[in-house]
Amino acid sequence: MNEALIASNMLLWLAVLALLVAVFALARQIGILYERIAPMGALMMDSGPKVGEAAPAFELAGMDGAPVAIGAPAAASTLLFFLSPTCPVCKKLLPIIKSVRKAEGDRLCVVLASDGEASDHRAFRQRAGLDDFPYVLSAELGMRYQVSKLPYAVLIDPQGRIRAKGLINSREQFESLFAAQELGVASVQDYLAAPQLSKEAA
Amino acid sequence: MNAATLIALPVIDPSIAHAAAAGLAAVMLTAALDKLREPEIFRDAVENYALLPAPLVPLAARALPLLELAAGLLLLPSATRAAGALLTLALLALVTGAVAINLRRGHDRIDCGCGGDQHMPLSPALLARNAVLMGVAVLAALPTAPRDMVWLDGIAIAFAALFLFGLFALTNALLRHHSRLIDLRNSR
Repeated sequence: MNEALIASNMLLWLAVLALLVAVFALARQIGILYERIAPMGALMMDSGPKVGEAAPAFELAGMDGAPVAIGAPAAASTLLFFLSPTCPVCKKLLPIIKSVRKAEGDRLCVVLASDGEASDHRAFRQRAGLDDFPYVLSAELGMRYQVSKLPYAVLIDPQGRIRAKGLINSREQFESLFAAQELGVASVQDYLAAPQLSKEAA
Repeated sequence: MNAATLIALPVIDPSIAHAAAAGLAAVMLTAALDKLREPEIFRDAVENYALLPAPLVPLAARALPLLELAAGLLLLPSATRAAGALLTLALLALVTGAVAINLRRGHDRIDCGCGGDQHMPLSPALLARNAVLMGVAVLAALPTAPRDMVWLDGIAIAFAALFLFGLFALTNALLRHHSRLIDLRNSR
């Protein structure tokens, strides 16, 4: 009798742990599904000005007083990066932005954009070593580009057209913006949906 | 077993206490290591809770993972288990209080700073998760009834601890998915 109980107890433990592993595997699979549905590369939100359209033009004063033009034809591409001092992922991306700016040199002008209390931003800018970046505060800018989540980036070409845009969470997504510009697609989702890829797969 | 201890604290079976302590130790150790791996992210998370004056934030962000590490290590040997369980209970009460205050303020979009590289926002479910962990910490802190342990106890303890840790990992995965589900629903 005792042995039978011990055996059944062990079997039940094994069954419980096997079920837990199965549920965990299901949760992982759901996570992968979310990734396929949404953020694959820089996530495109279906709002605001579309990729390929002219970027809404802005003439703003930077925090150091210098004028900053956005969306106007310029000598270099403009990367508009929306951030906030209270967004940990934004801070994680700052070194990446600095290295991208260094790598692209004269071909890219990086503009940081946010809104809120100027004093908070001044302290943040100094702490994060962003003094040599143009930094604009404008609630209207974020509204016009329909930025609902941070960190968010918009890449504007020298002709003043939006080449790529999206929510950025990692270096890979950041680089996907530039890849999207080179490939001439709006986002990585579009690239995956493009017929050429399904032909390659076939 | 005398009458005084019976009145003061309920006595539980040693296998339950062992399993609770081992499972909780695994939870605390992984939480501490996750935070120590990305100290900047955790410091920003502490800052976002907006509960401490700015000069204290780096100190708290440094101390909290180390205290978690200490609690996890103290939970492992039987001799220091009660101390580890009480430290765990205190830490959980502290962070759960911080989450509750920010939920009341309506700051439910900030990252919980629980470790890991995926965003986990604050939610009432997070409070429930921590409440369950606090219950487990109480189980690990209670005195045990003396009893001869047999080999089957060892297996049951190992399985139960593994189960507790697996359940914790599963809860975290589901909490992260929930925020993505909400995002997806709102984006349509």
